[in-house]
This record gives sequence, structure tokens and C-alpha cells, in this order.
Amino acid sequence: MNFVQSIPTHMDFEGQATAEKLSRIIITLFGAVGLVWGYIIQQFSQTVYILGAGFVLAALLTIPPWPMYRRKPLNWQPARDGTEGSSSGSKKGKKK
Amino acid sequence: MHSVLQRGNAILAYALSVLACLTFACFISTVFLDYRTNASMNTVKVVVKNVPDYSASREKNDLGFLTFDLQTNLTHLFNWNVKQLFLYLTAEYESANNKLNQVVLWDKIILRGENAVLDFKNINTKYYFWDDGNGLKANKNITLTLSWNIIPNAGLLPNIFAHGSHSFKFPEEYTTSRM
Repeated sequence: MNFVQSIPTHMDFEGQATAEKLSRIIITLFGAVGLVWGYIIQQFSQTVYILGAGFVLAALLTIPPWPMYRRKPLNWQPARDGTEGSSSGSKKGKKK
Repeated sequence: MHSVLQRGNAILAYALSVLACLTFACFISTVFLDYRTNASMNTVKVVVKNVPDYSASREKNDLGFLTFDLQTNLTHLFNWNVKQLFLYLTAEYESANNKLNQVVLWDKIILRGENAVLDFKNINTKYYFWDDGNGLKANKNITLTLSWNIIPNAGLLPNIFAHGSHSFKFPEEYTTSRM
């Protein structure tokens, strides 16, 4: 169970942006190439298949949280322990 | 942060939008094409009978029988936005009952990839040539025309009329013998 929980499933913020941009580039590119190829051989089905291949490739590359999307983690402030709290709001919350 | 499902949803939605755009491009690339072409047809044997129409009024109506030739080449009509052609042969004439009569006598489906060079000799009609009265006997001007529907992948379902037609006349007398 610990091992399962230790698998990282998140992307960082920049990774999200990269993944979305990459998926759009791949699908658009495959769609454009498919359109040209389908027009050349006059088979629209080939256009659809090529777009489908682009979709599969984009899905494989950008849906799973690959390590390349986790290179810039956020630097969180270290957690404060309760005794040291500074703001009054948090103090009250803690006491209750 | 987007989850795996959210990213999958976004990709699928985008891919389907692109597919819609590609389909529209396919439609635009063919919508202005001129699909008309030449067809030549000719009637071989033409007779007319006066028999009861049991499918309708049971009164005696004119029933035409004809065999015809048809030559045309439709190969160049097929492109990436044509799945099949539906050809039909129409007889048009004027009768005492109606200013304009149109009767479909024959049709044929040509799928893409099938032989689209048609050369028929002396073939029978597929459908009965009924008149709703006695408008066929001695009719001087019956015009045969070939038309087709284009069944596309995306876009319109146009009705195309071929260049070329054939006019013929029905005999002055009914044929009574069996054929």
C-alpha cells in the first residue's frame, strides 16, 4: 500500500502547460498531415485514421504524469508547528 | 491541478474538434465541383398496354413497356467526398390529366470502387411505367433523362442531372398480345 501511494501522480504547473501545449501540437500536426495525405490519395478515411494515430500518441505522451512534467516542483514554505503560530486567526483555530 | 481524467477529456475534446474541422475542409473542397457529365440513352422496344391497375384504382390505365440502351462514364465523379452514386432514369411527359408527369423507370447504386463505366444494351426497366389514365397511348413526346444523387461523407446530397436526354413516342395502338 505504501508503494502504491508513493507513485507520483501529479504534474507541476509548468508540466501541465507543457503537456497541454504538446498534445495540441501533436493533434494539430497529425490532423494537417492527414488532411494533405487524404486529399492526395482522395481517401478521407485515411485522414481520420491519421488523426486517430495523433490522438493515441498525444494521449500516451501527455496523459500519464511522466517525470518530464515534474521537473519544476513548487517550493512550499516549511510547515509551521502549532506552538510557534504568529497570526491570531490560526491561533484561535488551534486552541479550539 | 488537472487530473489524468481531465487531461484525457481535454485531449479527446480537442481531437474531435480537429476532426470536425477536417470534415468541413473535405466538404469545402468538393462543394463547388461540377458533377454533371454526358450520358447517352436510346429506346429499343416501346409498347403500350391498357390493363387494370390492381395496385391502385383497378381501373384500366395505360402501362408502358420499354427497353433501353444507356452509355455513360461516371468514373471521374468519384472523389474523397463521394461514397456512392444513386442513378435513376426518369421519364417525363405531358398528358391530358397532368401538365407534368415524372416516372422513375430504373435505378442503380454504384459504390465507390465499382465499375462506373456503364454500357447497357437493351435492358428492361425495373419499375412499372404506369400512367394515371390514358396518357401514354400515342403520346408524341416522352423524354428520358438520367439523374443521380451523390451520397457524400460530409455535406450536401445534391441531385445532378446528366447532359443528354432521349425523346420517343408511344405507338398509336395498344398491344394486346402477351410479351
